[in-house]
Amino acid sequence: MDNTSTLHLALPSVQTVPTANAPVSTLAQPRAFSSSVNPLVFFSILDHYLRRNADQDRVIGTLLGVRSEDGAEVEIKGCYPVPHLETQDQVEVDMEYHRTMFDLHKQVNPKEVIVGWYATGADLNSYSALIHDFYQKEVSSFPAVHLTMDTALTNERLGVKTYISASVGITSKADNCMFIPIPCDVKYFKAERAGLELLAGAKNNESGSTTLLSDMENLERAIVEVQSMLERVSEYVDTVLAGTVPANNTVGRYLMDTVSVVPKVDAAEFEKMFNSRLQDLLMVIYLANMTRTQLAVAKRLEKLL
Amino acid sequence: MPANKELSAALDIEGNVPIISIQLDAMVVLKIAKHCRESAPATVTGQLMGLDVNGVLEVTHSFPMPKNQDSEDFEGSQYQLQMMRCLREVNVDDNSVGWYQSTNMGNFMNQSLIEHQFEFQQALNKSVLIIHDVARSSMGNLNLRALRLTPSFMKLYKDKKFTTEALAKAKLTFSNIFEELPITIRNTALLDALLFELETSNDSVEISTSHLTTYKASNNNNYSNSNSNSKKSVLTPSFEMLDLSLDPYIAKNLENLMDTIDDHHQEQGNYAYWQRSVERENKKKAAHLLTRKTENARRAQAGQAPLPTEDVDAMFKLPAEPSRLDHLLISGQIDNYCKQINQFAGPTLGKLFAVGELQK
Repeated sequence: MDNTSTLHLALPSVQTVPTANAPVSTLAQPRAFSSSVNPLVFFSILDHYLRRNADQDRVIGTLLGVRSEDGAEVEIKGCYPVPHLETQDQVEVDMEYHRTMFDLHKQVNPKEVIVGWYATGADLNSYSALIHDFYQKEVSSFPAVHLTMDTALTNERLGVKTYISASVGITSKADNCMFIPIPCDVKYFKAERAGLELLAGAKNNESGSTTLLSDMENLERAIVEVQSMLERVSEYVDTVLAGTVPANNTVGRYLMDTVSVVPKVDAAEFEKMFNSRLQDLLMVIYLANMTRTQLAVAKRLEKLL
Repeated sequence: MPANKELSAALDIEGNVPIISIQLDAMVVLKIAKHCRESAPATVTGQLMGLDVNGVLEVTHSFPMPKNQDSEDFEGSQYQLQMMRCLREVNVDDNSVGWYQSTNMGNFMNQSLIEHQFEFQQALNKSVLIIHDVARSSMGNLNLRALRLTPSFMKLYKDKKFTTEALAKAKLTFSNIFEELPITIRNTALLDALLFELETSNDSVEISTSHLTTYKASNNNNYSNSNSNSKKSVLTPSFEMLDLSLDPYIAKNLENLMDTIDDHHQEQGNYAYWQRSVERENKKKAAHLLTRKTENARRAQAGQAPLPTEDVDAMFKLPAEPSRLDHLLISGQIDNYCKQINQFAGPTLGKLFAVGELQK
């Protein structure tokens, strides 16, 4: 962290509301605010950015998501673009569009509410504060989240940052506010992960395209990956044993854990299990093929009629 | 810029070029996956938007449809129109090119789906149906299929004629109700950048950069733990695929298969019943004709005018053949399940033997 800084900012906290049926409250201290993002949001933002009008250099949109009960955690699950117009001295956001879109989204996914807004570009300016003020009103009592994505790739990264705002000054004015960075995680689920993995496979490809894999190909990929990992680990262990690299206790412990997790099964027992599994599986395959053959025969017979 | 002529040829305004493959934008894939996963196990549908260029249907956007669209049909179309208008405002392709549906273990062959797709293809010749199998995708391999009704099926469905004879004439069997199109997935350059960013670990000192973690980290596999000492990044490979316990999947699959076979049996019963009744009618008719004939012979001997035989056809009406569409769909579904089991079985066998080797 930057040691030269003299300004200390505590992450803003949200008071937990004690509920009657809550178990013994271990959360005596208010939790720090945090956010997590579904990768879909990034994808949508980038898509929106690519489809911007010719004279536009940044796009904004509304973030949708769910909050945890105490409001300290925000899960950003979706988003939609909102047209806006920025000129030298004023900013216009199409409010009507925003409302209509939200209504439409609510019909499909009533659980997702407005949690904030996104913009492309790394810098925050005074318009950001104005827009943020509007979204703050939309989300009422909870802090609105602002997500920025550096689509211009300064520092050669798509720096994704999330902020919430705090008012500055004695009298709060709409265009005065301080954006405080908050931690942000990426969250996804099993089914989506499969998709992401596939997409990730396309990134090394120049044309940026990929085809679907069959189950078998996927398995092969996974096995090859495990193999390379095992090789890496054994290489590391070898170098440690040879004394060229100092042993790392943490790594050693992890390796130990890993090895000890492998179940020890009696050979005869294993043989039995293995065979019964194999038989089951072969039986199922046999039956399935049998059914298909029957169908094929029926198909031919129908043609004879 | 291509010349105007080339452009119109590429866009194929007359609609002559048949679609040979589907190209999905990465965002669409994720959108579909998210929508389907969130509402699983209920089946949900949504719209696909895009453009077809030179036989490749590019799907660039999608939006989910509200769930209870059957009960309020009006609301659904209203929603659709409004959504499309909104999307047009932000420069999204507002050209509807089909729809998607979620499914569980591949049980999507049913009448309503066929009907829906038929309507789509009737209105828009190039529309496509994308099936996303949530259950199979959560096993670690994305499962998407792009389907279109074949022209011969379209014709038959239009005429609503599903007799054995018509089916045989159109050479239509369960295997060619749908044609499946290959799917490719395309990332934009910016997306590639994002993916690289997600892959590189994020232990940097920047205060606000996300420290990215995986949700529900897959640790149900013994061997993937060796990974935990490597750097933390979002796209650490998951080893769902190496999971050995495929039993529930196969069991569920077999259960479904059994149900469908029961349906098939019932359908066969119906058909047999129809056949029997046709036979009975035919027999009655023949008997009647015979008595007519003998009577006519008798009358001819007696010098009387013979009784007409033409009215017999009118007297015995053959029962109409039941629609074979159900039968067709059920057969297709059974075939689907069997194929799935085979697809499961291959990798599972591989895994079994791998474990066998490991044990030694």
